[in-house]
Formats: sequence, C-alpha cells, structure tokens
Amino acid sequence: MSRLHDMGGRFGDGPIPVPRNNKNEVINFEPTFKHNWQAKAWAITLAAGALGEWNLDISRHYRECLPPKDYINFSYYEKWLAALTNLLIDKNLISLDELKEYVAAAKKGNLGKFSNQNVMLDDRTWLAEDVQKTLGWGGPSIRDTNVSPIFNIGDKITTQSYNPNENVNGGHTRLPKYAMGRVGKIYSYNKNHVFPDKNAHGLGESPLPLYTVEFKSSELWGISAEHENDSIFLDLWEPYLNPYKD
Amino acid sequence: MSDKKNIIHNHTHSDDHAHSQLPSDPELRVKAVETLLLNKGLIDSRTLDELIDTYENKIGPQNGAKVVAKAWVDEEYKKRLLDDATSAIRELSYQGRQGENMVVVENTPKVHNVVVCTLCSCYPWPVLGLPPTWYKSDEYRSRTVREPRKVLSEFGLSLDPKVQIKVWDSTAELRYLVLPMRPDATENMNETELAELVTRNSMIGTGLPKGIK
Repeated sequence: MSRLHDMGGRFGDGPIPVPRNNKNEVINFEPTFKHNWQAKAWAITLAAGALGEWNLDISRHYRECLPPKDYINFSYYEKWLAALTNLLIDKNLISLDELKEYVAAAKKGNLGKFSNQNVMLDDRTWLAEDVQKTLGWGGPSIRDTNVSPIFNIGDKITTQSYNPNENVNGGHTRLPKYAMGRVGKIYSYNKNHVFPDKNAHGLGESPLPLYTVEFKSSELWGISAEHENDSIFLDLWEPYLNPYKD
Repeated sequence: MSDKKNIIHNHTHSDDHAHSQLPSDPELRVKAVETLLLNKGLIDSRTLDELIDTYENKIGPQNGAKVVAKAWVDEEYKKRLLDDATSAIRELSYQGRQGENMVVVENTPKVHNVVVCTLCSCYPWPVLGLPPTWYKSDEYRSRTVREPRKVLSEFGLSLDPKVQIKVWDSTAELRYLVLPMRPDATENMNETELAELVTRNSMIGTGLPKGIK
C-alpha cells in the first residue's frame, strides 16, 4: 500500500554519507551542484514547471511513480529528469517521436544539427527577467477558505491506517506509512492548505485544515524506540486524522 | 464517500514510461531533453543560467545564518521569529519559493530539534539554499525518524540522554529552520561575527554552531 519513496523508518540503510575533510571534520559547505548536468536537470525542471501545465504535487507524484527499480537505481537528479520527461510527454509538450529523434542525435554526439538561431519563445516560457520576481513569490499553498478545523490543539487523534487517498488507487498522499494507524496529539493548526491527495491528480485544490501532529517515539516504534522522551512531528491534513477513541 | 467505481487507476505500467527511451549517460540524457525544449521555445537558456547562478551564488545558508544571528542579539526579533517565522524572515528580504510558510524551532538546554523530509527532499530554500546530498540520501530519509540519536552521532553529535529530541518530518508545505543555541563566551561579538559561527548543519539540527562543544 505504499511506494519506495515512502521510506521513513525503513530498516537496512547504512551510515549517512556525511562529507568530511581530511581532518575528519564534518563539511558544512559543498557546491550546490557537483556536475553541470545536475544543475541543468534541476533548472529545466523548474523552467518547464513554470509553463503552468502541472503543479508541484503532480511533479512530486511523477517522481514517486517511477518504476521501483529506476527509483532505486537513479540518483537524485536522474529521478527529476525521468519524471520531467514523462510529464512532458503526458502533457503533450513534446512527442515521443521528437524525444527519440533528439536522443538518437545525442547518442551520436550530433545534437548540434538541431541548433536553431530563430527559435520563437512560447507565450508561456519563463523569461530570465522574471526569475527573481517569480522565485520571490514562490507558490504559497495556503488558501483563504471558510473551512473550520474540527480538531483543537491538544486533541488526541488516530491517523488513517491505510493510504487515505480515496480518489485514486495508489494515489499521492503525504501521510507516510510509518505514521499510519498511530495515535498522536494536535500540536498546532496551520490554516488551510491545498490538499495534495487531490491536487496531484488534477482534481482541484480542495484546501483543507493542516495540522502539525506530535507522535511519541514509542508510539511509532514500540519497544525499538531509541528514547522514550523523543517525539516526531508531522504536518498532516485533516482527512488523514480521526478522533481518538479509547 | 469513496465509491469503488469512481476510483481512478494510476498510470504505473513500468515498461511504457517515456523516460526509458533516454540514454544511460545522464549528461547525454539532460542534453537531449534540454536541446529539445530550447528548440521548441519552451525554455530559455538565459533563464536556466539565472536560476543556477541564483542558487549557486546568492541563496544559501549564509541567509539563514543572518536570521539566527539576529535572533541571538535581538530578543524582540527572536519572539517574532518564533511566533511568525515567515514574516520575521521576510524582514531580512528572504522569502518565496520553498519558504512560503516558515517555522522556526528553538533548541534549548532541554530540547534538540532536527529536520528531515522522509517522502522527498523538502528544505527551506530561501534561508538554506538547495539541500546537500546527505539530506536527500535514502539513509538520512529512512533512519532519522526512527533513530535520530544514532544519526546525529554520525554527524559527531552526541546528546545527553536527558535532552529531548524533536524530529520534524516536513510532510507538507511548512519549511523548518532550527534556531541553535548561542555559543558561550560570545557576548562581545556583533551580529556579523555571530553569523560566522552559524553552520548550515546547525540550522538543520545535525550540527552545532562553531564554538559549542
């Protein structure tokens, strides 16, 4: 009932790849991108996203929907590029034939044959002049709505015990499986936010109350909890939560 | 409310994804898609340059360090920061993409905060820039919620068992910044000097400012 991206709490992963210098001190500053292709994969994903053909939740869901063997084998920006390619095709911004043609040329080191000095920019294309302004706005997910939260700070809740997406089989959700079917306490209410479970599937924004919920470590991990005093906080939408019943 | 007949079936047929057409070398893969999009006029190369330059040179942990240093020297600012982080951070002109709704969590002698995103790689871009590789790694994403103390020890941080650890899993569009404790014996330092002590990892919770043992 979940996908590979939902890896919180999973067993089997080794040490964190913490970068250290030759004195064995933790390095705090690394280049933003190690390779130019990573910078490009990231930047074309942002630029293509600005065309407005999909939203943040859709692009996240496309990364999650990569076949498990690719999700595991691809590095971070390879996942971004693969998901972007699938989106570009599905939203008809490029065709599969065009993609194959460019890939064939790339393999032959022959992409130069497409060089075109007279490209007409699409009306939707994100211009360099607008980059700072658009970044400064961001994409706020808070919406002014009349929906009132049903839970109060301090209320005990139980989370849904399965993927709560009721519209799409295997659909996008932001309730991780490690926190499904668990008892927590409402820590804060953060206004109403676009609901990813619908927005990721083009079913509308349906803004709903978003809470921060506190879970005791022992509630999530039982006897294997590292320390009984520790807590884990998650930001969860109202449909993920049910009132706690004794 | 959910009627089985209305459930949409997701597109997850693993063999007909367009991305499987791409060459194995990531450099060629990007080049092919980039060239195609440029030729169709769907992206502008100047925009790509501007984006990369912005996050390589202008937006990064130096921004967050200024927020932290200001909170260390200005009690009123610290209150505003803990009360409404988005507005307080905007006072320093840091705002926007992936920082639309900021939350600042304060370390104290009794509480240590650490931030993770188990589902993807959510990170407060306007104050910290793009996330480091380890933050996006499977190891960090899977283990931090289950064994934060062991994870922190791999960063060289060993916490008193009496200190409570609070792990913040960024599952929505709230973005978290840790306000670390001000190091001792820094009374004579000004805001600019203090900002130099604030490491990136101290604002994620996997490190401490310089000068704290």
